Amino acid sequence: MSERKQIIETRRPPKGRSLWKDAAGRLRRRKPAMVCLGVVIAYFLLAGSIHVGEFFDLKVGPTLWAEQVGRSYAPPSSKNVLGTDIFGQSVLRKTLYGAKISITVALCASLISIAIGVPLGAVAGYFRGFVDEVIVWLYSTLSSVPYILLILAFAVVLRDKTLFGYKVTGITAVYLAIGLTSWVGICRLVRGEIIKHKDREYVMAAVSYGCSRRRIIFRHLMPNVLHIVIIDFSLRFVAFVHAEVILSFLGLGESDRPSWGAMINDARMELSRGVWWQMAAATAAVFFFSLALNIFGDALRDSLDPKLRIQ
Amino acid sequence: MSGDMAGSNNYLLEVEDLKTYFPVKRGVLRRTVGYIKAVDGISFAIKAGQTLGLVGESGCGKTTVVRSIVRLAPTRAGRVIFEQRDVLSAGKDELRRLRREIGLVFQDSYSSLNPRMTVGAIVGEPLKVHGEIRGSEITERIAELLSKVGLSSEHINRYPHEFSGGQRQRIGVARALVLEPKLVICDEPVSALDVSIQSQILNLLKDLQEELGLTLLFIAHDLAVVRFFCDVVAVMYMGRIVELAEVDQLYRNPLHPYTRALISAVPQAGPGLQRPKNSFGTHAVRGG
Repeated sequence: MSERKQIIETRRPPKGRSLWKDAAGRLRRRKPAMVCLGVVIAYFLLAGSIHVGEFFDLKVGPTLWAEQVGRSYAPPSSKNVLGTDIFGQSVLRKTLYGAKISITVALCASLISIAIGVPLGAVAGYFRGFVDEVIVWLYSTLSSVPYILLILAFAVVLRDKTLFGYKVTGITAVYLAIGLTSWVGICRLVRGEIIKHKDREYVMAAVSYGCSRRRIIFRHLMPNVLHIVIIDFSLRFVAFVHAEVILSFLGLGESDRPSWGAMINDARMELSRGVWWQMAAATAAVFFFSLALNIFGDALRDSLDPKLRIQ
Repeated sequence: MSGDMAGSNNYLLEVEDLKTYFPVKRGVLRRTVGYIKAVDGISFAIKAGQTLGLVGESGCGKTTVVRSIVRLAPTRAGRVIFEQRDVLSAGKDELRRLRREIGLVFQDSYSSLNPRMTVGAIVGEPLKVHGEIRGSEITERIAELLSKVGLSSEHINRYPHEFSGGQRQRIGVARALVLEPKLVICDEPVSALDVSIQSQILNLLKDLQEELGLTLLFIAHDLAVVRFFCDVVAVMYMGRIVELAEVDQLYRNPLHPYTRALISAVPQAGPGLQRPKNSFGTHAVRGG
C-alpha cells in the first residue's frame, strides 16, 4: 500500500480530456467564430471600460458624450468622424456609449431570466407531477402573450415604481421587463433536458448508492444541462439587445442617456433632412454586434452539442 | 423449495412474492385503466457467497426485479429481506445503510457513467456520499480498486468517453465495489459487450467474487453465460419465475417447456456438433 501511495505522489496521473475541453478545441478550429468572438469581446470591453470610466469619473471619449463638440447636425468630417446630432454632440461618442447601455441591459436581463428559468425548469423536470404542471401552466400562459406586448406592458408598469425600497428608473425597468418575461425558453429547454437525463442509468446508479436529491440535481444533472444554458445565453443575448433597442425606440427605455434605440428614434425625423449619420452609426453598431453574436452563438452550439450540427 | 427457505438464516437476500406493477393511464383525467405486471409474484433466495442467475427473454421483467430490490421501482406487494432486514419498509436512514451494502453493475456502460465526471470522481462518489473516509484515503482506495478491476491509477483523471466498452464496464464494477458491499447485483453486465470482452469481464467478476467473498445476483438473457457463472438459476418468463434449480440440474433435466426452449436455443460450439455432416468432406477441410 505504501509503495502504491508513493507512486501516486511521485507521478501525477495524466489529465483526461473533458467534454468542455473537447468543445473548446472544436470551437477554436472555427476561424469565423473566433473572429466574431473577438468582435463580441471588443464590445464587452468597451462597455466595461465605460462603466469603469464613469465610476472613477474619468473624462475620456464616450463618458464625455454630453459635451458639445460642434454645430448642430454637422456632417462627418475629420474633426467629428461620425458628425454631430441636433445638440452638437458627437455621434461617435454617443454610439460608443450606447454599447454600455445595450450590453448592461442584455446582461442583466439574461442573468435574471437564467436565475428564474433554470431552477424552475430543473425542479419541473426532476420532480414532475403537480409541481411540473404548475410550472408548465405558468410558462405556457406567459408565452401565449405576444412577446413585445408583454415586455411593453411590464416596462410601462415597472417604470418609476418603487420596488423593495429601490426606485426603478430608465434601464432598470428595461432589463427587469425583459428578464421577467423571457425565462420561458430556457425553462423549457432545461426541463426537457433534465427529463431526458434523469432516467439515464448514471442517475439511477447515483440513487442506488444513496446520493441525496440535491447532490443528484447539482452534481449529476446540472453539469449535463449546463451547455444548453450557455448556448441559450449566447443566442438570447442578441434578442435582448434587440429588445432594448426596440423599447428605447418606443420611448420606454433610457431617456437621459444615449442608447442605440433612442438614437434610431431621434434619427427618424432627421433622415428626411438628409441627416443620415446618426441612423447609420446606431444601425451599424447594432448590426455588427448582432451578427458577431449570432455567428459565435451558432458555432458555440455546434461545438458544445455536436449531435445537433446541421451540415 | 419453500420448505428449504423457511427457518434457515444463511440467506443473504430473500425475495418473497414480489410484485411490481406499472399503472397504465388513459384519458384526459389520467385515470388508471390497468396495470403492466412487470414482476408478478416472484420468490427466490440467495445464500451468502453464492451466485444466483436470473435468466429470461428481453422484457420479461428481469431489470424490474433488480430495480425493485433496491427500491428504484415502485413495488406493489411482497417482501425483500436483506440480512434479516426488510428493504421495502426501510426508512430513509435504514435505506441508506442498506444501499451501502448492495452494489449495482448496470447493463449499458455508456449511459451508466456520468460523462462529465472523471473516473476518480465516479468511483469515489459513493465514498464521499457516505462520508467515511476523506482526502488522500479516497484517492488511495480508488487507485487500489482500479488496479483490482484491471485498470491503472493513471486512469483516475480521465473521462468515461476516453475508454472502450470493456474498460467502462470495469469502471462500473469498481464503482459497485467501492463501498465493499456484501451483495452485488449485475444487470446484464456483459450483454452490451462483444464476445471476447464478455469473457474478460466475466472472469474479472468471478475472480473478484472469490477474492472478496461476494454474493452475486446475476441477470442475463444468455444461458451459456449463466452456466459458466452461477450456482443456482432462476428462469423468468412474463414476470414470473417458471423454474428454479441448481445449475447442473437445470441443464441436465429442464422441467419447464420454456426452460427447454431456452436451452435448445443456446448455440453449440463447433460447426459439426449439431448439424449432420454434409457431403463436402468437412473433416478434410478441418484437418487441412
